[in-house]
Amino acid sequence: MSQVQAVPASPLKQRWLKWRFHLNILLILIPLGFMPKYFADARLFRGEAGLGANVINDIQVGPYTLDLAEMRDEPPRADGPAGHFKVFNASLCKACVNGVKAAYLRIGKPRSLRAAGTIFFGAPYNMGTSLPIPPRTKPDAQVWITLEGWDGSMHQASVPLAKASPATVAWLEKQGGKK
Amino acid sequence: MAKSPKKSKSRLWFLVHSWLALPIWFFVLIVCFTGMLAVVSQEIVWLADPAVRANKPDADAERLSFQQVLDALHKAEPDMVVERLNQPDGSHFAVKANVTLPDGTSPTLYVNPYTGAIQGKTPDFNFEAFTRALHGWWLVPFTNGFSWGWYLVSLLGLPMLASLVTGLVVYKKFWKGFFKPLRTGHGSRIFWGDLHRLAGVWSIWFIAVISITGTWFLIQAILADNHITISSRPIVPVIAREDVPQTPNGSPAARIDLDEAARIAGLAVPGLEINFISLPATAYSHITLAGPGWYPLMFQSASVNPYTRNVDSQFLISDRSALEFVTESMRPLHTGDFGGLPIKLVWFFFGLVLTLMVFSGLLIWTKRTAQATAAALKRSERAPRMTRNETPVEIRP
Repeated sequence: MSQVQAVPASPLKQRWLKWRFHLNILLILIPLGFMPKYFADARLFRGEAGLGANVINDIQVGPYTLDLAEMRDEPPRADGPAGHFKVFNASLCKACVNGVKAAYLRIGKPRSLRAAGTIFFGAPYNMGTSLPIPPRTKPDAQVWITLEGWDGSMHQASVPLAKASPATVAWLEKQGGKK
Repeated sequence: MAKSPKKSKSRLWFLVHSWLALPIWFFVLIVCFTGMLAVVSQEIVWLADPAVRANKPDADAERLSFQQVLDALHKAEPDMVVERLNQPDGSHFAVKANVTLPDGTSPTLYVNPYTGAIQGKTPDFNFEAFTRALHGWWLVPFTNGFSWGWYLVSLLGLPMLASLVTGLVVYKKFWKGFFKPLRTGHGSRIFWGDLHRLAGVWSIWFIAVISITGTWFLIQAILADNHITISSRPIVPVIAREDVPQTPNGSPAARIDLDEAARIAGLAVPGLEINFISLPATAYSHITLAGPGWYPLMFQSASVNPYTRNVDSQFLISDRSALEFVTESMRPLHTGDFGGLPIKLVWFFFGLVLTLMVFSGLLIWTKRTAQATAAALKRSERAPRMTRNETPVEIRP
């Protein structure tokens, strides 16, 4: 706006005077443009668009099986000083819903049940967790799934991060361990 | 009436007032209109969809307890997982149940509070959520912190507050305007001008409330995006591993039922009126019960350990800091959802008036301000300074 005071008839001012009411049209176009995304997200949150992206079906974890997917096919999101996070969804097989007390996710093999990683929240048919992704994670890292039974048993399995979330691996490679 | 320097100053205020919302008037109009709809969106859905209503099967039917509702749901759909139960404010609304089905979908069900029957589910086009999303953040998705649409809408609180102030400055003796009749026989400009002023003086309190709370939403987003918190809400720790029983046969450990949890929460928090129950989201989570207390603008909550029956965490109205009393009151003051239908109707009515003010303001502008501005530009060599005074309010991406 600083140009306005220089010359009353500066081209910028003239353009502003001529086009200012078109701001209305631009502003109305915003929600129209985001509407498909809004409805797609609403479907995703209702679980109607499936578990997520890059679904890995029937991962055998001890006696149980589980499907794992990333919520969105995209790099981790920053959450201020807490670091970067990636939301994963999982679904337990229908027969194992009652036996599993808790499911956890972690990058790298957990040393014990107490360090099994982030816990999955929600119904076993479609539960979610926000997995911290340390920027120094190696691109060939494994994502470890830990299932804890109500009887105290513990079962583990792993899948390559590159398979669970290719976008995260691409992001890690771009970071190049610089943090 | 006024001396000439004063007059020219008020003329300037008048121009500022006239130009405040103008280049984006249609945006402002839609935001006011959708806000007005959002206030009564729940009632609109109630009118449109019989599944949302809590009809009594017969005159002496009693309302079910939360556990009875849960039992009815489990009986109807044994494999379904219930995550939350919520009795909306108003006994004419069905209980809402957030559930997840074995196919992984998570609908919100409407449950009759007298019979426990599942009456329907939230339709794919959720009118309440849509109007609120359009009004609140212009449908711009939240990807990293607050959506920029949220900033766009909440920024309007500032010009709205400025319109109120400048409007009162240019309306001489506005306090005498409450009962001025509308002049109908003098052409449309006079009529719309009278209507704009009459609506304006009656809406002073409402415009102040909406613009101040709207500006709070802006501050809230700025604070959150800079990871500054003023909340004294306790972070409920997960239940300790030792407190969650192991079962030799491998079946889930017994938890107390919802009515027992409600009883325990009621003992710990006298006067807690529970209308929201969230069931444990993990084996290490609490049953959280929440509802209004003596101060209608804030909720209280208690988290009951479903294994040990302890109230592990609670957040009462008296736990709030003085600052939180102000900031937490902002959202209900904006949405008008703190006093049942009467307050909502008041908010709806003044929302309609506000929408009309934006509209009548535009009509007046097209009829008068265009000429006034042209005249002001012509009249003085200092015209560029005049125009500069009106432009800052137009700095808007």
